[in-house]
Amino acid sequence: MIRFTIRRLLSGLVLLLVVTSATFFLAHLAIGDPTAGLLGNNATPVQRAALHEKLGLDRPIITQYWDWFSHAIRGDFGTSWRNFQPVSDQIALRVPVTLSVVLAATLLAAVLGLVVGVATGLRPGGLLARVLKVASVVLFALPGFWVSLVLVMTFAVRLKWFPAVGYVPFGQSPSAWLSSITLPSVALALAAIVMIAEQLSNGFLEVNKQDFVRTLKARGLSSRRVTLHVLRNASPAALTVLAVMFVGLLGGAIVVEIIFNLPGIGSLTQSASQIGDIPILLGLTAVTVVFVVLINFLLDLVLGWINPKVREI
Amino acid sequence: MKRIWRATVVAVAAMAMAACTNTTTSGSGTADEDIKIGTLLDVTSWDPAQADIGFDGPYLSALYDPLISLDKDSKPVPGLAKEWKYSADFLTLTMDLRTGVEFSDGQAFDADAAVQNLEHLKAGVRSGSTYDNVTDIKKVDADTIALHLKKKDDALLYYMGIGRSWMASPAAIKADTLANQPVGSGPYTYEKGKSTPGSDYVFAKKSGHWDDKTYPFSTVHIQPIADPTASFNAMLSGQLDIAYANAADIPRAKDNGWNVASDVATWVGLQYTDRTGKQLKPLGDVRVRRAISHAFDGAAMLKSVGQNAGVATNQVFPAGRPVYDETLNSRYAFDLDKAKKLMAEAGYPDGFKVTMPMSSIFQPWQPSVQQTLGKIGIKVTWKNLSPADYQKNAATFPMFVAVLALDSNPAASVDGRITSQQWFNPNPSTDDFPKVKELVGKIEAATGDAQVPLIQQLNKEITEQAWQDVWYQANNTYFSVKGITVTPITGMMFPTLRFVQRG
Repeated sequence: MIRFTIRRLLSGLVLLLVVTSATFFLAHLAIGDPTAGLLGNNATPVQRAALHEKLGLDRPIITQYWDWFSHAIRGDFGTSWRNFQPVSDQIALRVPVTLSVVLAATLLAAVLGLVVGVATGLRPGGLLARVLKVASVVLFALPGFWVSLVLVMTFAVRLKWFPAVGYVPFGQSPSAWLSSITLPSVALALAAIVMIAEQLSNGFLEVNKQDFVRTLKARGLSSRRVTLHVLRNASPAALTVLAVMFVGLLGGAIVVEIIFNLPGIGSLTQSASQIGDIPILLGLTAVTVVFVVLINFLLDLVLGWINPKVREI
Repeated sequence: MKRIWRATVVAVAAMAMAACTNTTTSGSGTADEDIKIGTLLDVTSWDPAQADIGFDGPYLSALYDPLISLDKDSKPVPGLAKEWKYSADFLTLTMDLRTGVEFSDGQAFDADAAVQNLEHLKAGVRSGSTYDNVTDIKKVDADTIALHLKKKDDALLYYMGIGRSWMASPAAIKADTLANQPVGSGPYTYEKGKSTPGSDYVFAKKSGHWDDKTYPFSTVHIQPIADPTASFNAMLSGQLDIAYANAADIPRAKDNGWNVASDVATWVGLQYTDRTGKQLKPLGDVRVRRAISHAFDGAAMLKSVGQNAGVATNQVFPAGRPVYDETLNSRYAFDLDKAKKLMAEAGYPDGFKVTMPMSSIFQPWQPSVQQTLGKIGIKVTWKNLSPADYQKNAATFPMFVAVLALDSNPAASVDGRITSQQWFNPNPSTDDFPKVKELVGKIEAATGDAQVPLIQQLNKEITEQAWQDVWYQANNTYFSVKGITVTPITGMMFPTLRFVQRG
């Protein structure tokens, strides 16, 4: 298990290195000179040159890269080109927002997906299974932003149960925090619930057909214990889907963050891209890769724990 | 174990109930002392030297006092400078400062503080261009300063008033901490603990501010909301009292009984960087530029792309202001036959080829431009650029699609649109246009109201020269709930707090 863990961590580090380096060069190539976006309409060539010097853009790209890299490995991602504030401070403000919504959505998806998945797995032809089939078609056909807007119009504008926009930090007011993340989390979770439930339900059907289940039943085990055995064997696929969903939700959060006006990493990515704030983009890339690596690592650990054969891969 | 689960379920349910009932449902600014303002962009920087004029106005005006403000007609009015006077040669601007004003860190506002602030603004990457003509800033006595200029600058007071003279604590400037910890003498203090950066900035009113009456609200919330639908929903749900609005929502806003305030903010059209034909010979012929002006149906463009929010015109001086001349709008009436005839007269009956830049921001106009220019034989090849690169590179092309800010002050319009070097106007020389050059010279020699008729003549002349191809001037629109009014100021994309009042 230790070798397995070290191998996974090392491959994660390599991924982090490759992705951030590629982002550095691609961003410089795609965005070009950022002073136009940063200085606005009235800047003179002299001011642009001064900003170039201030940002260190007058140096060779390799020097700039080494400077960024040597600082980044010590956790210093430099300062934003927009407001000259430390990148890490700004990302630290944004990460809790996105994580609040994405974690809540993942939790919702996991719990409801599990309940619905097990229920439909136990009764494949039942009403709930049929509802799930229809829901999966409908939810995948509808764009995410439309679903979000329907939620806003119903629960924020009409019923006024939740705010239409904005985020309140947990430290400021736990109830207002919960209120501010409810609709965005539900909007993100809806499709994920259906996907996980379907995965689990299909897994149930597959595992139920296997000989060992018949043996367990023949030995007179209670249906609850048989279900637990089946669940343990059917869960890897659903867990993989859940991990993929989490990573997908991190990316998909941008639409929800815009519709609900949440100051998360999605909206920061959008604004940083628009004005060519490369340090912010690099910091965000690094954070996202760390999340992806971490989630996959945790998934591998859990799958390895459930099924020891995985560790040998 | 069961007990723990039950307790958890009860706790979560209680929190959810509390969350549901905690939602703000008040929507009327008259009912309480708070006001919630939704603007388009987050604050660029709390340091006035690094801030933008456009959308930073409401944020900075909460915390800082300016040396000079503008009134609703964009006329400079006293701020921390009580009065000012130019020397006879207009090369020295002397300002008499307000006394007894303190910054929120206890530092006094005086001539030393004003000099330090202006030097900070002059050195600022974003604020510096306002003070390009200022060579020296000197303290005359404890409450008087003098700005020495290398040449007469008719737009200086306007630019200072529009957001380039915010005064900050000298200690904070010296410590270089303004970007993180703004310290001003303004009407409000920043409630950092109650604010959520990027989502909701909260400001509490100070007691005893020298201009107390101008600021009627005890607490101000400013929320940057980039998406117009989110902003509209926030108004509907009662989370906002004022919103930077999408013109398409005006009928629904009226149905809700909200106030709607609009004024022109930008001009939309084609900007030429090559009027002498050095880069693209045909553009050096005024008949070709006139043909292009005749080919575009500005009113139709305003209706289809601009949601009819604005004024169809071919001028860059804002509609409704003294320099704007209604009669000039018929100079380039939509007439394709005339356009084709002019192209033929200029020697281009089959048109010519041109490469123009394009980015996602300008895509709404791209099909019309391609089609319209195509009708008079001008074949466009588009070069796609990222939005960030557009500003830097657009002016390297002979012409490009532009949406450019307007200024309400006539002298600032001449300076910003015609005579000074800007990203969209890299070569402001008028040497090849003797009449334009002569009029610019006369304007620079004249002062005050005497400039207006001369600028009117310049407006006529650059319209004759088809200096740019303006399709329309686009509005900025603001919604506000009953009992609150917003006065739009052309030049500010979102007005400062003094233009948000009860009424």
